[in-house]
Amino acid sequence: MTRKPRFAIAVTVVFFALLYLPIVAVVLFSFNERKSLTVFEGWSLQWYDAVSKDRDLIRSLETSLQVSAVAMVGSVILGVLLAFGMVRARSRLASAANVIMLIPLVTPEIVTGAASLMLFKGIGLQPGLTTLMLAQTTFSISYVTVILRARVAELNPEIEEAAMDLGASRRQALRLVTLPLLWPAILSASILIFTIVFDDFVLAFFTSGVDPQPLSVRIYSAIRFGIEPSINAVGTLMLLGSILLIAIALLVPRLFGRRNNSLDLFGG
Amino acid sequence: MTIDTVDRTATAAVSLQGLSKAYGDKTVVRDLSLDIAPGEFFSMLGPSGCGKTTTLRMIGGFVDPTQGAVSLHGVDVTDLPPDKRDVNTVFQSYALFDHLSIWDNVAFGLRRRRVAKAEMTQRVGEILELVQLTGRDKDKPNALSGGQRQRVALARALVNRPAVLLLDEPLAALDLKLRKAMQVELKRIQREVGITFVFVTHDQDEALTMSDRIAVMNDGTVHQCGTPEDIYERPETRFVAEFIGTANLMTGTYGAAGLHLPGGVLLPTGRLEGVEPGGEVSIAVRPEKIWLSDLKPDMVQTDGILRATVYGGATTTYLFEIAPGIELSVLEQNLERARTEERWADGERVRLGWHPDHSLVLR
Repeated sequence: MTRKPRFAIAVTVVFFALLYLPIVAVVLFSFNERKSLTVFEGWSLQWYDAVSKDRDLIRSLETSLQVSAVAMVGSVILGVLLAFGMVRARSRLASAANVIMLIPLVTPEIVTGAASLMLFKGIGLQPGLTTLMLAQTTFSISYVTVILRARVAELNPEIEEAAMDLGASRRQALRLVTLPLLWPAILSASILIFTIVFDDFVLAFFTSGVDPQPLSVRIYSAIRFGIEPSINAVGTLMLLGSILLIAIALLVPRLFGRRNNSLDLFGG
Repeated sequence: MTIDTVDRTATAAVSLQGLSKAYGDKTVVRDLSLDIAPGEFFSMLGPSGCGKTTTLRMIGGFVDPTQGAVSLHGVDVTDLPPDKRDVNTVFQSYALFDHLSIWDNVAFGLRRRRVAKAEMTQRVGEILELVQLTGRDKDKPNALSGGQRQRVALARALVNRPAVLLLDEPLAALDLKLRKAMQVELKRIQREVGITFVFVTHDQDEALTMSDRIAVMNDGTVHQCGTPEDIYERPETRFVAEFIGTANLMTGTYGAAGLHLPGGVLLPTGRLEGVEPGGEVSIAVRPEKIWLSDLKPDMVQTDGILRATVYGGATTTYLFEIAPGIELSVLEQNLERARTEERWADGERVRLGWHPDHSLVLR
């Protein structure tokens, strides 16, 4: 028997406490009866009520959902295409694209944000819903491609040939065989992008206009004029939504029963 | 249907005319011409990189030939994509669709052809019975063993009743025992359905035991094409002789008295068919064709010095040096006894011989 590593346990407890206590505080105070942010005095749903009546906040929520959905669909389509191109093209261009694609992932977001703003100004686009969607879609492509590239590379090229051998056209082979095999990865990527874009603040701050404002930017502006407990309620709702999405993302591969990939010759 | 009963004037199931394939300046298939008869079990045999798989893929439509033409039952299909050719393929990796059930895997081709539901159900059921997978139709491929997956791949191709079935090393991923069983199984299925099989393998045993005819390939060309017996008993090139089975090679100068080997040894081969006197020539003899006792006067006879004796259960292999640098291995069946003590000591001189017909002259 080894002794329990007390020190390691202590560090772990402190780590998780620091990580989650602020979040727990947010959730707790969203149910506070009073306006105080320091003293909890009793349970109430009044701040949730306030949120539901705050038309600006609701409008921001709608904007964020809209932008997240557009960025998700756009970046997933483009990212999947890029992944296919990079895996299958076998050209020098493909390996160059590989490096270029990774740059947005390591660039500080403040730089990306400022650069996007300057670009839009430069070409005469006023910050607004369009610029926000363009920027969010563009910088989400890399995530999709990183996830999908590995799965596309894993695909056995004989699978598509087999489909065509059995009478499917190239397009049917893609629709009936290749895409179904990629569905779990595509769904995970979609949920990830939706969450990232919905939560994003820096890029949203630089590329959105005065109206409509995405939720993250709206919360930031609200805080500058003093923290309303209704912000806690919004935060709790966002947390709930994120947890739900991540749970789905984790469950999706299991629902599809993906244990091993198609190259497994000795399976079973 | 054996090769003897095939009507050679009938249209070939597969006809390759002057087929070539080059990738850049690397030629993998060189001016290859072949006719494969309907109903034939035809093998393309050769080491990896000999062009056999590329040839198969050109028949299937997955590789465009650089030159030449592919015809199926007299129709030129060179420019047709795979889905427009009446052939189906069993892939080396099986390439099963992991997201579909066994039933849906097998029905895939019929669905593409819009076969009516009732007929589809009947044909899928029949073919699953043929490959002995009845009752597994709702399983996913991942739940099956290697041999079962192989049979699904076979069923998925056969259910379409193609004119020609292409098989790309379909047994390579199986272990030895299963492979032997599947060889028998494949042959049985081929006889039952009567479809032309074009089978690619690097395993000579597989090719010899299953095929009606074999094309032995190397470096993108066909060295010899014939029945397993032709290929084994009458190899035409050094490559074929060495690739199929074991061959004792002897190279020397051909003269009136026979073959002059290095070290002044004369091998009294008698007349060698198609060899000019004075020229250098290689002959081969199979190990099991060499006799060590009861030699007949009309045999090619020579003395050999025993270098090694290897006991192998059913057989014993002897190694004799008959000339400097020329060793012959001789295979004897252990007909009478377990040979606990060796017949001759190493270094002993032994008379050996073979029938003149068994001297194989190689190109």
